[in-house]
Amino acid sequence: MGKAEKVDVVIVGCGAAGSVYAAIFAEAGKRVLALEKGPGRKLTDLYSSQIWARRLKWGAPHVFEEGKDSIWYNFNAGHGYGGAAIHHYGVWPRYHPEDLQERTLYGKGLDWPVEYDQIRHYYDQVQEDVGMSGDAEKEIWRPPGAPYPLPPLPVFEHGNILAKGFTALDMHTSPIPVAILSQDYKGRPACIYDSWCDAGCPTGALANPLVEYFPRATQAGAVMQSDSYVSRVLLDRQGTRATGVEYFDGKGERHEQPADAVVIAAFTVENSRILLNSANDKHAGGLGNSSGALGQYLMSHPAVTIFGMFREDTRCYLGITGGQLFNQDPFAKEKNKDAFGSRQWEIGLGTKPNDLLGIAMSRADLFGDDLHKFVKQGSRHLGVMVGVCECLPDKTNRIELSNKQDKFGMPLARVTFNLDDNGRGLWHQAAEEGLEIFKAAGATEAWHSPPGGQHIMGGTIMGKDRETSVTNEYAQLHDVPNVIIGGPSVFPTASCVNSTFMAHAVAMRSAQHIAKHWNQLIIAL
Amino acid sequence: MTLSRRNFIKQSGLALTFTVAGKTMLLTPRQARAGNIPFAVLTPEEVSALETICDHLLPGARENGVAHFVDQQLTVDPNDSLLFIKYFNVEPPHVDFYKSALKEINLLSESIYGKGITAIDKAEAEKLIETLRDGKAADWNGPPSPLAYHILRNDAVDVVYGTMEGFEALDIPYLAHITPPRTW
Ligand SMILES: Cc1cc2nc3c(=O)[nH]c(=O)nc-3n(C[C@H](O)[C@H](O)[C@H](O)COP(=O)(O)OP(=O)(O)OC[C@H]3O[C@@H](n4cnc5c(N)ncnc54)[C@H](O)[C@@H]3O)c2cc1C
Ligand code: SF4
Repeated sequence: MGKAEKVDVVIVGCGAAGSVYAAIFAEAGKRVLALEKGPGRKLTDLYSSQIWARRLKWGAPHVFEEGKDSIWYNFNAGHGYGGAAIHHYGVWPRYHPEDLQERTLYGKGLDWPVEYDQIRHYYDQVQEDVGMSGDAEKEIWRPPGAPYPLPPLPVFEHGNILAKGFTALDMHTSPIPVAILSQDYKGRPACIYDSWCDAGCPTGALANPLVEYFPRATQAGAVMQSDSYVSRVLLDRQGTRATGVEYFDGKGERHEQPADAVVIAAFTVENSRILLNSANDKHAGGLGNSSGALGQYLMSHPAVTIFGMFREDTRCYLGITGGQLFNQDPFAKEKNKDAFGSRQWEIGLGTKPNDLLGIAMSRADLFGDDLHKFVKQGSRHLGVMVGVCECLPDKTNRIELSNKQDKFGMPLARVTFNLDDNGRGLWHQAAEEGLEIFKAAGATEAWHSPPGGQHIMGGTIMGKDRETSVTNEYAQLHDVPNVIIGGPSVFPTASCVNSTFMAHAVAMRSAQHIAKHWNQLIIAL
Repeated sequence: MTLSRRNFIKQSGLALTFTVAGKTMLLTPRQARAGNIPFAVLTPEEVSALETICDHLLPGARENGVAHFVDQQLTVDPNDSLLFIKYFNVEPPHVDFYKSALKEINLLSESIYGKGITAIDKAEAEKLIETLRDGKAADWNGPPSPLAYHILRNDAVDVVYGTMEGFEALDIPYLAHITPPRTW
């Protein structure tokens, strides 16, 4: 066993949130060590292939999924430098102010401990840092904020064809807001619209963690360490402060890393699992679990993909993977008939022949010669868009420990997820509306996918009340405030909005605040 | 454009490392098949069953080396796996899934037609696949049959269409930023 030299901050996970924390703390002069369970990837390790892209996805330790619905954990999670965000699609809309006050405004869901105005500045900062493209004026639903630093991405045949359907139904479309460069920016090249984002963008056009915050962190002196699998947080005798973490290196050797503060940014399920596995006599139900809320309020956006065949050549293999146009007409939460919650459309997704979201999978019922015929036709004429729906926080959707263990003897995670009537209702509305839009756009045939799950949130939610939440507004555990949580696991509500922009904004706000009040918030605890 | 063999493998997007008698070779699954490269985890019967069912699911899968692709990938760490099964809630090691599914498919064929999967004709295979896909297989004791259908079907799609050759057959540009390296 090795016991290393103490650092100011040890970070668990070198993905989206971990990289932001690493950059901000290192730039504030803190000694930072970030431990990543997966390999130490570079941009040049990202190969354009849907098959090779699967190396970036989660494989182990296994997460047992129970309940009626799947959160598609292995698809939605990633490992290695960059985490899931290394192959994410960069669709970055903002949460709306009402998303953060659902309980107060509608008597549903939960309230965040912060309001939109307190987050807005960090959204603006992050979009400037990474170089977002979009059109703030045409995006008529967009909450207040600085205009995008870059003009929108161009719209190709695929987007134009589908936009006709929206127009015919009196619906609006805007360029999609993305963390992808429409022009060269800070030495990074503009996107070339080849639609390999799902395999990871190696040029730096898409703002994955390796492009902005990870290099900033290392330039400021942070050490990023791969093949280091963190198993639990270590505590002092009184159980009032964390003293570091335990981890296993690539050879299976156990280490202890002492630190003044611990940031857990290992994505939603692992965040809860590490805290549950850190239970001791002072924190019998898991670290940070005096409220009993640890692991609860797991959320995943119900998503429906609409497919259609068009006479025109859609060239659906071009563009960016995440879509060309955007619509939030069905966002108003109380206006969606029979179901509460918001919805949005990402329109004209770049689609390749194979993989889970590929052309062949869009008609999973076909095989043999029919499948050949379909893939051939679809490669030129398929239209694709995805409807993303809100999932309300429900404490029975949860992350717990399994009675099975990983190779180091630590219990694995098991998740229970059942979509409620709201989520299911919104999903059905989206499916129906999507087919209408495609027909109005001139599709010769249109169909939709079964329910899918996008983005995974909750489990370590923030809140004002320590009786009902796990962290405070700066993502510090109420019970042990020198443990800080990163990522969408701290979100108390899901909205229908993609989670990564908000995860960056929240991490930046917390890191800047904690760095500024370091002695008071961390040292003098 | 003419490609050298080495470049072709590099650009095909699906070159795998096979070790035979201590010697490491870089081959596409199609070449591994043509060169009779031995299998690591699947038995000859399982290989035949896998090739047959996949070729019915998407003609061309056999020739494109689906069995070598699957067999080789079943030997790697689950985090590094390139198999479609990785997305599903199936606890590794995935070799158990394949072995059990292939065994049950063969039994199903025997129970319906009185002969194994490799002996049935195209029309018989179509009916059998529909039974699998629709979860209607009687006395099925393997992983859920619709899941087995999806996994095997997508393995076939991967080797037929997931490569540069596949894109070329579809007449769409591949447009790679970085093609996969020779070894991995
Ligand atoms: C295909 C795909 C498309 C997506 N598209 C979008 C999109 O368009 N817009 C959007 O907003 N979001 C998108 N997302 C979601 C986005 O990737 C996540 O929201 C984001 O990455 C979460 O950030 P995180 O820091 O919490 O986790 P991650 O970025 O996943 O980072 C967590 C890191 O922690 C590491 N880790 C885990 N456990 C341990 C441990 N025990 N010890 C050490 N390290 C550990 C992991 O290996 C990983 O590297 C997409 C995701 C996927 C998979
Ligand atoms: S389409 Fe653009 S963002 Fe996506 S991989 Fe290609 S260059 Fe990168």
